[in-house]
Amino acid sequence: MKDIGAGIRKIGFLVLSVFSGLILWQLFTSFSQIPSFIFPTPTEVWERLILVVKDGTLLKHSLITLQEVVFGLLLGLSAAIIIGYLLAKSRAVERILAPYIVASQSIPIVAIAPLLVIWLGPGIFSKILTSALIVFFPVLVNTVVGLKTVPRELYDLMRSLNASPWQRIYKLEIPAAMPVFLGGLRIGATLSVIGAVVGEFVGADKGLGFLVSVGRGLYDTSLVFVAVFTIVLLSLGLYGSVIFLEHRLLSWQKRNDD
Amino acid sequence: MKRKYLILILVVLFTAVSCSIQPESEVDTDELTHIRLPMGYIPNVQYAPFYAAVEKGFFEENGIELEFDYSYETDGVALVAANEIQFSLVSGEQVPIARAEGLPIVYVMAWYEKYPIAIVSKTEQNVKEPLDLAGKRVALPGPFGANYVGLRALLGKIGLQESDIILESVGFTQVEVLATDTSEVIVVYSANEPIQLKAQGYDLDVIMVSDYLDLVSNGLITNEITLAEDPELVERFVSAVMKGIQFSVENPEEAFQFCIKFVEGLEEADQEVQYQVLLASQELYQTDPYGYSQPEAWENMQQVLLQMGLMKKEIDLSEAYTNDFSQ
Repeated sequence: MKDIGAGIRKIGFLVLSVFSGLILWQLFTSFSQIPSFIFPTPTEVWERLILVVKDGTLLKHSLITLQEVVFGLLLGLSAAIIIGYLLAKSRAVERILAPYIVASQSIPIVAIAPLLVIWLGPGIFSKILTSALIVFFPVLVNTVVGLKTVPRELYDLMRSLNASPWQRIYKLEIPAAMPVFLGGLRIGATLSVIGAVVGEFVGADKGLGFLVSVGRGLYDTSLVFVAVFTIVLLSLGLYGSVIFLEHRLLSWQKRNDD
Repeated sequence: MKRKYLILILVVLFTAVSCSIQPESEVDTDELTHIRLPMGYIPNVQYAPFYAAVEKGFFEENGIELEFDYSYETDGVALVAANEIQFSLVSGEQVPIARAEGLPIVYVMAWYEKYPIAIVSKTEQNVKEPLDLAGKRVALPGPFGANYVGLRALLGKIGLQESDIILESVGFTQVEVLATDTSEVIVVYSANEPIQLKAQGYDLDVIMVSDYLDLVSNGLITNEITLAEDPELVERFVSAVMKGIQFSVENPEEAFQFCIKFVEGLEEADQEVQYQVLLASQELYQTDPYGYSQPEAWENMQQVLLQMGLMKKEIDLSEAYTNDFSQ
């Protein structure tokens, strides 16, 4: 009962915050008389939203971006987990790969995205790879940190129980590294959307990044706002999914704390 | 105490006298109108008339201090429309598109007469005329901007649809996708990429959109407020730009030398190729008379944009441009 009350209060504050923000936005744009092609009012953005929802434009472009994000996330996660495991387990691999991995992170994704279009063509693959590249590093770092923080004694315990390598991974390393790994996934999930959108900015004829470009090209700033808010919602949705996953996968931790 | 006051008075007097005997040039600089001009592209030899106008002092003579701004074309249009700045360089199609959205901009000087978009392919693709585009993979930055408008205008003129070609959005990587045969045809600015590709040894076929259709092309915009309240500033600015255009047409080599100061890396680049880029861009200029834009080109552009769905409504073209400043 107490939980339900707290939940309602939380939602109440959220609604209040959003509503206040919208009122301030409306007042600012109305009184400052800024032209709508510079800063549209919430009403104009809402009207534009209704139009693109009705004609199916928003759904079409959102699904494309979502597709790129999901595949990018899967690719980035898989690569980060495999390489992260190797780095955590082998000092030699770490010494060979670490300089490349760290150096690769100082390359701005905007600079490399056009090259991906040249190498992979203008289709969906270049956007998936842009998304995967941006996801890779935070997940990799957290995978390595998570695996390295598994207590030595637990490895000894597994050895004394004669556990197989697979049992060691499944019963010890995955659960022990999971909290830190999921922290990386939270960051990676939101970044994956940015990666896909950057890819779309560089060269695309569909997706939410493309919709932003179209809006800018046609001085339709309300459309730009609609696309940007949808991108934000997509990021928040992915972030929320990771939080949900955390609650499910780390419930054992909560039980232990209790 | 008296001595302290005396020193203070002397300091004040000295400062006052120093201010009053500043060199004449500094006083003049204070009187110059500072103008920030969005160019729509990175520093490039194609802007030689503007660099020449600065270096030859045409802007200063007209009481203008010019600052180049290499931000996005659409940002420049929006800032002019909001009267945050007074002028911007734009591609012709931007004016009807923006005015249809309610942006109060006015085109006051045509820089180019010919629409600068070209359809380029390697000769082995056998794209000799626009009809040969049917079924080809055609790459352009995206379905927006001058490249897209030029391509669609050309297709419409010869009775082809967008669905008759395979359109590929590749960002600004057209040179690379053509070189690597990722795409068969590219849509580019005629004065730049074809010259660069030919210099690398590629045999190309180039189809100019302007050979098939007159479309309003690159020029200078201002806003309705500036035009109504300060037409003299518009006159001074346009006149300085047109002097720069005329100078670079008559003295291309000297104009090219001025570019070195403004275009980073130009001194180390292949000078011959870059000079060819400048000469190719000059073939597009509106010179007789300078600054004049053809009413027919405006009509054509409006029709193309309406057919493409890039304009929601027809606009009154007489409000979109003026030839009052052409010479």
